[in-house]
Amino acid sequence: MSLGEGQNNLPNPFWRMLARRDVLAGLLFIGVATLGLWLSRDYPIGTALRMGTGYVPRLLCWILLGLGAVVVVQGLREAQDVRPLSSADFSALRPLVFVTASLVIFGLSIERLGLVISILLLIGVGAVAARALRPLETLAAALVLIVLSWGIFILGLGLTIPVWPEW
Amino acid sequence: MELLHNLAVGFGVALTPANLFFALTGALIGTLIGVLPGIGPIATIAMLLPLTFHLEPTSGLIMLAGIFYGAQYGGSTTAILVNLPGETSSVVTCIDGHQMARQGRAGAALAVAALGSFFAGCISTTLIATFAPPLAKVGQSFGAPEYFSLMVLGLIAAVVLAHGSVIKAIAMIVLGLLFGLVGTDGNTGGTRFTFGITELTDGIDIATLAIGIFGIGEIITNLTQPQETRGLVAKKITRLWPTGEDFRRAWPAVLRGTALGSVLGVLPGGGATLSAFAAYALEKRSSKHPEQFGHGAVEGVAGPESANNAGAQTSFIPMLTLGIPGNAVMALMIGAFTIHGIQPGPQIMSERPGMFWGMVASMWIGNLMLVIINLPLIGMWVQLLKVPYRFLYLAILLFCGIGVYTVSNSAAGGAFRRARLRFHAARMRAGADDPRLRAGSADGGESSPRDANFERRPGDLRRAADQPRLVDRSACALRAGGAPGHSQQAGRGVPGIAALLHHAHCRPRCTDALHTDCRALHVLKHATDENEHRAWQ
Repeated sequence: MSLGEGQNNLPNPFWRMLARRDVLAGLLFIGVATLGLWLSRDYPIGTALRMGTGYVPRLLCWILLGLGAVVVVQGLREAQDVRPLSSADFSALRPLVFVTASLVIFGLSIERLGLVISILLLIGVGAVAARALRPLETLAAALVLIVLSWGIFILGLGLTIPVWPEW
Repeated sequence: MELLHNLAVGFGVALTPANLFFALTGALIGTLIGVLPGIGPIATIAMLLPLTFHLEPTSGLIMLAGIFYGAQYGGSTTAILVNLPGETSSVVTCIDGHQMARQGRAGAALAVAALGSFFAGCISTTLIATFAPPLAKVGQSFGAPEYFSLMVLGLIAAVVLAHGSVIKAIAMIVLGLLFGLVGTDGNTGGTRFTFGITELTDGIDIATLAIGIFGIGEIITNLTQPQETRGLVAKKITRLWPTGEDFRRAWPAVLRGTALGSVLGVLPGGGATLSAFAAYALEKRSSKHPEQFGHGAVEGVAGPESANNAGAQTSFIPMLTLGIPGNAVMALMIGAFTIHGIQPGPQIMSERPGMFWGMVASMWIGNLMLVIINLPLIGMWVQLLKVPYRFLYLAILLFCGIGVYTVSNSAAGGAFRRARLRFHAARMRAGADDPRLRAGSADGGESSPRDANFERRPGDLRRAADQPRLVDRSACALRAGGAPGHSQQAGRGVPGIAALLHHAHCRPRCTDALHTDCRALHVLKHATDENEHRAWQ
């Protein structure tokens, strides 16, 4: 994630080389594979006949590592004719971060703080993702959505979601 | 003759007021989300999965199917009028459809798209009715090797049909397989990649992944792009009916599109989008006036629109007959079946003829409804585009969140788990009828893949009779205090390409010869879940 973040004008040739679509994609694959290998370091491997818990994960991670390396190399070699990432591409991180954060917060809060407060949190954080939203609009949208989801999910479907915080 | 009888049964089911209502609801919701860019059938179906608990299984499935093919109609409307594809499958419709609208032929383009879709829908529904039964018969003799081969075929097809870099496609498949590994290993009972989080021992739920990849992913992409300007076609639509010239040029394109879409829909990884793109390429190549394409050629609307509807419907064939999802929507449909404790697969047609034929018949009715209601309602759909996306995405975000929560966690989640318990128990009991289970019972857990062929050897019935003991055994274990067992997600998948991946990984492991004990533990786990649920209540 830290790769190239905030490198808006990319002065350094090294960063410019990294900030290419395929290179970043390959690095992502390599990153996931490395993480997988690290997580599965203690899983028993077993043999091909009697596979242990770690056999398939490690196999897949090594394959992914290899594929990721190929994608990186491809990206470095073909990058001359491919449009490099511009600073506009990095501003895409804003919705990515805030939309993800809003859902994580919603998931963590819904059982403890109840429907109403967690919707307020979701809308509040989610609204930051789009620049166009004014505070008052956001509040109005949140109120409408609270009433709507209370009507549909609590009254209509009878789901057992806590509405208010449970102490 | 048998076909007619079956269809009569199907129409008997589909024409009840309740089912008509749900077909209409599904078709309308489908059109709505088809019109709205930024929300597709996958996210919608995932969001509505919890809702189908409260419905009859048949009604729920009729509604979900309606959403899928309704979206194909709705997507073309905005593609033609506003040059804004509501669905990926109508991206190519923009090219010529919007040009036609600019020339004042919007009505003709809409009518050609709707009539072409209707024709394609009728033909492909007939194909389902004709070819599903024989295919299901073949499917019934499938054991582990055959399913394994199908999975391999699916994975290869996913690579071949992917756009862009092949290496990246393979890497994504490997990534999907890795996601499928999260949770409890069916082989050893050990947990993988769970980070000590209890919820993850069950693996990653299909609805969760579908909403994450398609629902949330789409929101983020849309927010990344600058605020779109939605230039509505100001001109009033005056003539709805196409000219004779339009008809003469459109009908061969409709035929070609239907044929192509029907074939591509059945393939794993295929479906509506691929069919539409392929049909456009075909039309352009086979046309005598390729220079007209991009400037309002009616074939460029008729071909892809028929193809995407045909592809959307024939992709039900592998799901209904073999229990294999060809695309993400079908993976979710399997999820919907599982909620009600039904295992999609070859046996569905013999065990629940009313449901199968009711669904097929409802597709006919739904398509007819779509043609009739959609043309007059076009104006209303276009008005909907005026809702700014900055409000829309908040609502989508919220419903995605609540949808995922209810499917996997809440009381509904409890019902879901109970349904799975029933489903597994039913499969145990049905052991003698299910070749895959028979194969499993043959070897008592010490297995080599060869044993998957066991059902073809004599004496297997005696062993199959051992099946009920498994249930007893797990019941004993439960009474004895029950260690946390593990659960597999048989019959459920991870969406899209990942669906195939997940299934490739998880299904053979669970349903084929490998682990009789694994299945016993399943039941144990689900039984434990249910007990917990009761205690909690």
